[in-house]
Amino acid sequence: MSKLVSRREFLNLLAATGGTAAALKAGAALGLLPGGATAATLDLLNLGASNRKVTILGSGLSGLTVAYELGKYGYDCTILEASHRCGGRIFTVRHGDLIDEIGNRQYCEFDDEPHMYFNAGAARIPSIHRNVLAYCKELGVELEVFINENKTSYVQDDNLLGGKAIRNIDYTTNMRGFMAELLAKSLTIEEMNAPFTVREAETLLGMIRSFGDLGEDDLYRGSFRAGYAAGGFLNHGVQKDMIAFRDLLKSQAGRGLMSANEGDTGPILLQAVGGMDKLIQGFTNHVGDRVKYRARVASVHVRDDGVEVAYDQDGVRHLIKADYCFNCIPTHIMTGIEHNFPADYVTAMKYVRRGTAYKAAFQAKERFWEQEDIYGGITWMNNPSQQIWYPSHGIHKAKGIVLASYDYGDGSYHTKMTQRARIEAHLKDGEKVHPNYRNLLEKPITIAWHRMNHMLGCSARWTRSRGGWTHDEEQMYHHLQSPVNGRHYFIGDQISMHSAWQESAVMSAQWALAHLDRRVRAELA
Amino acid sequence: MTRKTWFSLCLFFLLNGMSSFAAENEREPYDDRYCTSCHGTDGRGNEAVQAPRLAGMEPWYLQRQLENFRAGIRGAHPRDIEGIAMRAMAVKLSNRSIADIIEWVGSWETGPAEITIVGDASVGEILYGTCAACHGSNAEGNEAIAAPALAGQNDWYLITQLRNFMAGYRGTHPQDRYGAQMRTMVNGLGDVTGIIDVVSYINTLSGNQGSSRLIQN
Ligand SMILES: Cc1cc2nc3c(=O)[nH]c(=O)nc-3n(C[C@H](O)[C@H](O)[C@H](O)COP(=O)(O)OP(=O)(O)OC[C@H]3O[C@@H](n4cnc5c(N)ncnc54)[C@H](O)[C@@H]3O)c2cc1C
Ligand code: HEC
Ligand code: HEC
Repeated sequence: MSKLVSRREFLNLLAATGGTAAALKAGAALGLLPGGATAATLDLLNLGASNRKVTILGSGLSGLTVAYELGKYGYDCTILEASHRCGGRIFTVRHGDLIDEIGNRQYCEFDDEPHMYFNAGAARIPSIHRNVLAYCKELGVELEVFINENKTSYVQDDNLLGGKAIRNIDYTTNMRGFMAELLAKSLTIEEMNAPFTVREAETLLGMIRSFGDLGEDDLYRGSFRAGYAAGGFLNHGVQKDMIAFRDLLKSQAGRGLMSANEGDTGPILLQAVGGMDKLIQGFTNHVGDRVKYRARVASVHVRDDGVEVAYDQDGVRHLIKADYCFNCIPTHIMTGIEHNFPADYVTAMKYVRRGTAYKAAFQAKERFWEQEDIYGGITWMNNPSQQIWYPSHGIHKAKGIVLASYDYGDGSYHTKMTQRARIEAHLKDGEKVHPNYRNLLEKPITIAWHRMNHMLGCSARWTRSRGGWTHDEEQMYHHLQSPVNGRHYFIGDQISMHSAWQESAVMSAQWALAHLDRRVRAELA
Repeated sequence: MTRKTWFSLCLFFLLNGMSSFAAENEREPYDDRYCTSCHGTDGRGNEAVQAPRLAGMEPWYLQRQLENFRAGIRGAHPRDIEGIAMRAMAVKLSNRSIADIIEWVGSWETGPAEITIVGDASVGEILYGTCAACHGSNAEGNEAIAAPALAGQNDWYLITQLRNFMAGYRGTHPQDRYGAQMRTMVNGLGDVTGIIDVVSYINTLSGNQGSSRLIQN
């Protein structure tokens, strides 16, 4: 390394840390991050003898939340759902299920067994998403741990060690060692003393050493943390060779790898036993009779006294009138549906972009990863398929479903391909990690969210600059959040500053419900 | 929706045995009527998905475009992102399906499109002089020359197409006879400003409606 971290840079780092703390507080104040310790409890006014009709557009998680809650308080709800199924982006694919991708319809041929499913949309519930978890509890949805980080899974990059797949633990142990050595060596104790007391400086240095498993001399010489090259139980363990820092730096893998288990995807993550759509079933157990399937909304008109919605079902256009309307149809689809929304609403709807996430999965004829000491978790690849997920459930059973690709950032690469080309691409990419991959996998499915019927995107993308939300963007968001005429509410994770999470969909619904409740209380007072 | 649509839709669903009451686990019957998912209610066009207006489109032009997409004459250029999306749909269409869809599209009614661009329509009028020979002085189209109507189409879509012709995303396939013809015409527009001006003029022919929702380009 030619340049050591200067003290000034180090102090900048400290300043940045102070900034984060401030941002966290500000975030909580804005309602971006969970501030309180408990899930929201909605205490809506029970309508009693009065009557209120509600039309809910789309049976996404937010729409179902509204139907379920309002049902408790005496509202008369109808859900219009364009698709043949409920749940939108909460989509668990099992034997016989239709994947309604436009131009690439597929039927899933997985074996018909409870553990043989694939969560094509939402798959993970962070333990801090307490509103979703509260509904899981209330609705009797059984949960189990979802394994995101697995140190025995692989890292594969053609630029790294000639493309040989290495274990996550080899990569991270060595990377941490070198990073710690760099930090420890770049600061003399006097320099550290400047911003800190002697004790603090010693504590810090101690942590840096422990972080990287450094020797007394602050040098990294490899670590048993990466496991043993041989022995270790009945004989002395033999330490694995170090991977040279220069070699590690030939790969960008660390950028993703070092942050893959932070933030929302930090431990502990949970999943619904048997598939994420058990949450949807939990809701439909209560409000399923309120859903009209294959009922595609064709127009929405907000009037002074209510909301008129036209929808097509069985080749006939129907009209339904209600006092209030909650709408989780993606904004980019809503722009193609007739409506009389105000100008600021429309500007905001047109501003939001749609994401292109893409997932693919195979049935594995045997759980080959378990023979490689892998139980759950993610292999990271520097190729377009990007990730391999090993199921957290069904351990030691005969077969399992593996995720063969997940591109959250830009799935358009695979989206543009034919089904055949997609499958071949994933087999070729995965072979670099598991040499016999091609022969061990069968019954592929792929899901390009950009092309999924009635969805045409994976989630709302509000921000366009790296700097995050601009003032204008925030304003547009607030316009779209506030109801039209007090009667039409947009809901869904699209009406949040944290899209692509179920928690946001639920919280958007709760926000709208609380808002409606204030109005209804005033009306009935 | 007109009575004719109701009838044709009902007939279609009857023939296909599709019903909203189909049991959950029964296989969904296949049909190709995905168009409105992208092209909006009654094919009115959806800017957010970049899918243009289909309502009011001439059947001969609609048919040719569907066939061109299907054959890869259109929508196959790697940078033609929107064309590629449309092509994924078109490759699934049989001749029978295309005939069915043309009839379906023919049943849609639609009003004027929303104006979303601002350009100099008076400059556009002059530029449009050359276009009129083929597309007609009211941009009403001319089947004999195989040039479609431009009036009534979404302005943002006309812009994408003129850009696509200019960039060679459209009209460069060796079998794209009509596209090639059109491609030679875009050079006269100069650049994007010319494109916006001429489309602003076409807006005046369309009876397209201005709105407070104007987005400056
Ligand atoms: C690939 C992927 C991975 C994800 N991973 C996670 C995760 O791990 N954890 C997590 O918490 N979240 C995850 N999410 C996000 C989560 O799935 C969503 O935030 C949540 O499901 C959104 O719910 P919603 O209420 O906004 O409705 P949506 O799911 O968007 O539902 C919208 C509904 O509207 C219907 N509709 C559309 N058009 C019409 C019409 N014209 N008429 C009637 N109905 C119509 C649709 O069919 C659909 O049912 C993921 C999403 C994707 C795509
Ligand atoms: C996945 C979304 C999607 C679906 C589904 C879809 N289209 Fe398209 N279509 C598009 C897009 C996007 C374009 C614009 C392509 C471009 O910019 O060149 C387009 C363009 C077209 C055009 C060219 C219009 C012109 O003026 O040249 C026709 C015709 C068309 N679509 C017809 C259909 C029909 C008929 C269906 C149903 C069978 C259909 N589309 C389904 C997205 C879609
Ligand atoms: C020589 C005849 C001719 C002239 C002159 C001409 N066009 Fe065209 N144009 C065509 C034809 C033919 C097509 C259809 C191409 C196809 O089938 O793909 C077309 C297509 C188009 C389209 C695409 C429409 C759609 O729905 O996708 C636009 C936009 C267009 N022309 C604009 C113009 C403009 C603006 C001018 C003047 C600058 C112009 N044309 C001049 C013949 C012409």
